[in-house]
Amino acid sequence: MKAILYVLERDFRYFFRYRWWIVGMLSMSLADLFIMAVVYTGMVKQEITEQYVSYFLFFAPGITITALFAAAFMIGREINMEIRREISHYMLSLPVKRWELAFGRVLAGGLRGMAYMTPLLLTTLLVTFVWAGNVPSPLQMLIIVLALFLISVGTSGLSITLALSTTSFEKYVTARGVVYYVLFFCSTVFYPLNLIQDVMPQAFVIIARYNPLSCGADLARFFLLGHPTFEPVMFLDLAVFALFFALLAMFAYMKIVQK
Amino acid sequence: MISLRNVWIVAERDLRTFLQYKFLLIMRAIWFLAQIALFGLIVNRMLKPEVELEIGTSYFNFYAAGIIITLLYSTTVFIGYDIYEEADHGVIEYLLSLPVSRKELVLGRSIGGGLRSFIYVSPMLLFVLYLIGVSNPLQFMVAFVSLFLFAFGVAGFSITLAVSIKSSDKFDILLGIVDALIVRLSTTLYPLVYMPAYYRVVARFNPLTFAADLFRWGAGIESAVLTSPAIAILGIVLFFSTFTFLGIVLHEKRLEGGGWQ
Repeated sequence: MKAILYVLERDFRYFFRYRWWIVGMLSMSLADLFIMAVVYTGMVKQEITEQYVSYFLFFAPGITITALFAAAFMIGREINMEIRREISHYMLSLPVKRWELAFGRVLAGGLRGMAYMTPLLLTTLLVTFVWAGNVPSPLQMLIIVLALFLISVGTSGLSITLALSTTSFEKYVTARGVVYYVLFFCSTVFYPLNLIQDVMPQAFVIIARYNPLSCGADLARFFLLGHPTFEPVMFLDLAVFALFFALLAMFAYMKIVQK
Repeated sequence: MISLRNVWIVAERDLRTFLQYKFLLIMRAIWFLAQIALFGLIVNRMLKPEVELEIGTSYFNFYAAGIIITLLYSTTVFIGYDIYEEADHGVIEYLLSLPVSRKELVLGRSIGGGLRSFIYVSPMLLFVLYLIGVSNPLQFMVAFVSLFLFAFGVAGFSITLAVSIKSSDKFDILLGIVDALIVRLSTTLYPLVYMPAYYRVVARFNPLTFAADLFRWGAGIESAVLTSPAIAILGIVLFFSTFTFLGIVLHEKRLEGGGWQ
């Protein structure tokens, strides 16, 4: 356990080295919410977002999820760099078991996402309280945080798996770009699912429906705004996503660092 | 006396340096495609019918034109990062030792910074023009030339910030915040009339608003809600002149003497 804590501590120290990036990203997320979503609120058809009170409130949980996703994804970039520069050899020389190292890295990625997302989640809670008068119960809050944690760990695992799949930085960045933007824009973060069904081909609708970002955003919306309907499959989706990518990343990490 | 040959040599060097950003260019291209093919198409269906009436075309066309300007802006500001890279590796001292005056150096960098992003954005710009169509070639040429000035102005702006701050961390955060605000507080994503009054005040004088509305006008999208072309051209010329001038003055004064962090 102590070894895992050391790994976590190291990754958190690295994360806060990017404090300028963090501030920049936070300001971008807040600008998306308080400028972009405010303007779109006046432009969006009322029938599309009336169940959520307004587009602004519809978007608020979404921005929390995108911020969480972006921060949890950062660990992959670091691991790709470590492999290319062979820092992983140094890591192997540490008195830490391979599985502890791998588990610590995946967990660190997830926890960093949670830490970064916290101010945005608080902002979301505040705006839903002010404009919709809703305050989630402690149990509901626990479910939201747990769901966010699952997304964060799954995203961390996904980004590590992606980072380990190639030693070429260009290929990694390209793959990351595709995954990143498909998951971002093919989700219910920016628009409800029925709209995606109207516009996009079936393949994109399936991605959007089972996309963990969609499940996380809709789950948070249900507990904060009462819509869309909560389905247990959302939680199952997140659990499978987190478990699958966390295990895959751990397995790949343990294999790759030994090469 | 400024030698155009020297200016061109500096610009050419910056064009070559741009290729080192391969991965960022790939990311930007993917971002552009996702914005157009996913976000643009879906949001187009989400909006009230009166939005389309007011902007004089589909929201998709309006948005695609705006995204090109966002892309042009975000690739042009890379020039500031180049300056920090050079400071980091001691290349600035080498550049200062060349038989090129400071004025030629900064002018060349502004032109190179603008030109390289224009070359990069061109295929996507042509794609957007193919989607929207060009109804009046003369109008389009006027807009096209103004966009060149806009790109040079953005390069000058980025150089001005870089040499004023001399700290890569502070530059990074400032540019991140400016980027977050300048794009969202402009008409690249939505028309001015739908912005609350307190945002509209800023958006009205934003160079991205001038560039986006002028590009739309050049592509034949004409609507009362867009900034008038004369005002947009004037705004872009002012933006270009101010930041090229500031860039030259600050570059001359602050480039020497170290102090880069």
